[in-house]
Amino acid sequence: MLRDLDLVVEPGERVLLVGPSGSGKSTLLRALAGLLETADAGERTGSMSIDGHAPGARPGEVGLVLQEPGAGVVASTVGRDVAFGLENVGADPASMPGRARAALDAVGLHMALEAPTASLSGGETQRLALAGAVAMEPSVLLLDEPTAMLDPVSAASVRRVVSEVVEREGLTTVVVEHLLEPWLPFASRIVVLDDGGRIIADGEPARVLAEHGQRLADEGVWVPGVAPPEPRLLDADVLGRPAHTADGTVVAELLDARVVRRSLGADGRVREVVAVDGADVTMRAGQSTVLVGPSGSGKSTLLAAVAGFLPTEGRSERFAELTTTEAAREVAWVPQWPSAAIVAGTVLDDMLLTSRALGLDEDEAWARAERILDAVGLLRLAGADPRHLSGGEQRRLSVATSLVHRPRMVLADEPTVGQDRRTWAAVMGLLESARRAGTALGIATHDPAVVAGADAVVSLQTVGQPPPPPRQRRPLAARCGPLALLLGAMLGVPAGILAAGWQGGLAVLAVMVALTVPALWAPGEGARPRGRVRGILLRMIPGLLGAVSVGWSTWLLADQDLGVALGAVTRVLVIIYPSAVLIRYVDSDRLGDHLAQLLGFPARPAVALSAALQRLHTFGDTWSQLGSIRRVRGIGPSRSPVSVLRHVWALTIGLLVRTLGSAAALAVAMDARGFATAYRRTWATRARWRAADSLLVVAAGVPVLVAVGTRQLF
Amino acid sequence: MTTESGTRTAGAPPTRAGRFVLASRPLLGWRTVDILTVAFLGVAIGIAMWGWGILYNGPLTALGFTFRPAMGLFVGMWFMAGVVGGLVVRRPGAALACEVVAALASMLPGTEWGATVLIAGVLQGLGAELGFAIFRYRSWGVVAAVTAGALSAPLEWLYEIYAYFPDWSTQWQLVYLVMMVISGVVIAGLGGLALVRALARTGALDAFPPGQERREAHAV
Repeated sequence: MLRDLDLVVEPGERVLLVGPSGSGKSTLLRALAGLLETADAGERTGSMSIDGHAPGARPGEVGLVLQEPGAGVVASTVGRDVAFGLENVGADPASMPGRARAALDAVGLHMALEAPTASLSGGETQRLALAGAVAMEPSVLLLDEPTAMLDPVSAASVRRVVSEVVEREGLTTVVVEHLLEPWLPFASRIVVLDDGGRIIADGEPARVLAEHGQRLADEGVWVPGVAPPEPRLLDADVLGRPAHTADGTVVAELLDARVVRRSLGADGRVREVVAVDGADVTMRAGQSTVLVGPSGSGKSTLLAAVAGFLPTEGRSERFAELTTTEAAREVAWVPQWPSAAIVAGTVLDDMLLTSRALGLDEDEAWARAERILDAVGLLRLAGADPRHLSGGEQRRLSVATSLVHRPRMVLADEPTVGQDRRTWAAVMGLLESARRAGTALGIATHDPAVVAGADAVVSLQTVGQPPPPPRQRRPLAARCGPLALLLGAMLGVPAGILAAGWQGGLAVLAVMVALTVPALWAPGEGARPRGRVRGILLRMIPGLLGAVSVGWSTWLLADQDLGVALGAVTRVLVIIYPSAVLIRYVDSDRLGDHLAQLLGFPARPAVALSAALQRLHTFGDTWSQLGSIRRVRGIGPSRSPVSVLRHVWALTIGLLVRTLGSAAALAVAMDARGFATAYRRTWATRARWRAADSLLVVAAGVPVLVAVGTRQLF
Repeated sequence: MTTESGTRTAGAPPTRAGRFVLASRPLLGWRTVDILTVAFLGVAIGIAMWGWGILYNGPLTALGFTFRPAMGLFVGMWFMAGVVGGLVVRRPGAALACEVVAALASMLPGTEWGATVLIAGVLQGLGAELGFAIFRYRSWGVVAAVTAGALSAPLEWLYEIYAYFPDWSTQWQLVYLVMMVISGVVIAGLGGLALVRALARTGALDAFPPGQERREAHAV
């Protein structure tokens, strides 16, 4: 990746590190942070030092902000997230709220410490990451394309905050970027890497640009003053002119669309967010439509709605009812995360995948695929495994594969994020070629150069959410800690096993139902909590089915004795009933804290568990997104069990690959904040075992005693 | 702050046992990425179990109301996390931790089996862990995977016949055990190994021993 590299950065310097995609900028940044071995593989030679010692010797000495907003989020509230590094170095918990507040104020985040991290926009999340670094009082700050995935307004706010913080604290800073212009007022020095990871220019920004400007532009760097690249078009005969459409024909239309995204939280409650409200999009053959708006305004969601991935009110067509091959003929999807679209084992097979699924003429498709690959410089990789390509190559491939079968509509989600000038020209060249061939083109973007070339612009605003429901009174059980709730739920097992016969089981069950009343009683001020009883019934209906099935098997396999079978039914009901009441009140955000502080569970796994559970709903989203992508590539499941099995297998692998990537990114972010050595960490929030917890466990023990009692009676 | 070229090679070469690459020494010196990967894999597999539901929900309900011991043939799905976690990270405790996290992740959003899922996760995870421990954490091929898958069954079986099926006659209880072991061998053992190999081929395991093995196989 990088070799023979010598770089000396003086204290207080503000270095802008630029280079084309794949030049090793991020690798160098990780090397500077002392985090190369955290999640990377390979060989390293050479040495690294900060002020004469190895990087990472003092945790938090080097602050790091990653490209993807949210990749480094550790905790569910902003205050806790900022305090993460302080916890790792064993700081006094009493000092943490003040230090977290100061760090948040320094980056312009003035919300309460208890504000949920999930509610932040992309720009705010990047500033949160910066606050997390600042709280550790770093001497060096490393930023890995911190604004690449942000809209222009958020990006400007992040740059302003970085510059203020660096100014005030006098930090040495290295920013990796491929977009020079916005960072020029900030930088005191530019270092340019070439394709092979060698330094080709180094010095004062003005001088480097004057001497090497054109060469940098040729290498792919976005240099101010050099005109944006022209999209590199395919020859007109490559895609030809599919017969199905005349320019201007409406291919898809959404009028007054409203999309509500639902996700299942770790507490079992469905969260609803209105992602799009009242948007109009008309996709026409041979025309491009771009969706713009600040991050969080629902661009990606609306694009997915146009593709038919999401249930949408105001939809004029019914893609959801199409078979996988019909959908593939209609629409191709270029996901924001390019490796998500990759399916086949070689680049060429991946190109031909949908054409084959559609039964198109193999020779024609083959010829088209080869010429498209040639145009974007991937033909030499035709036999390679696409999963081993670089990110930029995968991006070009995912755009290329969307064109081969000539769908009526191509939808691309942020296709130019992170592209250098050359790959930008290749990606936009492909999309523009498709448009000229009569394809309806839809792009969600915040890239001004893409917007400039569009036929129609749909501008989205951040959607106002309906006011949250009035604060409800909390049932007594909800005021207990997660450990007490889990223990209480588990006490159903001894109660069930000990109860004597079906009469004993029924008696114990009656006691449990009676105990439910105080457990769900919600005294105090506020609205009456809803759905308490319905929730129990909803969980007990499948439970009852399970219990009857156990009872039936007992009747079948134990002498056809009805009493014994009924005993099995009541036993199962007794075992699962406490869970049906209590589990929904387990607060997974507090589980890690309680395990570590009350049970002496090792600190690092406890933190990792919290971080993973916090992402539970995103894993569900990934699963459904991967399913949609396979469907529009023409290889979704049909009715045959084998195809369903294959589909589920592929989704499992896709989900796990994505998951492993998130774990690796988070590992880097956490180690940058001292997690690797956090064997004696402190906790910003103290977990307490309260009287309510004891009461709950005692109450849950009553049915066990009753069960023992039934053995005397029945 | 400096970076400079040099010839000192950082990091020891991977430890190995025969054809298997082992986790870096010390074996109990978990890297951050090891801990996070076990937690994330656990949660993801816990979520995937919901997705797999379309495969087995129908057949499972039908089996439950016809011949319950045959349901043992499906339990391997729930043993998967332990086998996969162990095979990827290759450290003592990885299989147990991954299985328990998966159980937790499938319990929290709500299943009718509630907290008993967590008990099952611990018992199955202990079994898988034992499977890898037998080979002193030095063997990571088919034999170890299948052993871990098979051993995920007995403790879980013991719990189930004690809590749910104490009245079945002994031979049916044993039939149930055999079915569970078969499922553990085929679905969790062979299936889990296939899953890990497929993941390694994508390059996603490059920071772990299976990824190292793939790279070496490639380099030859």
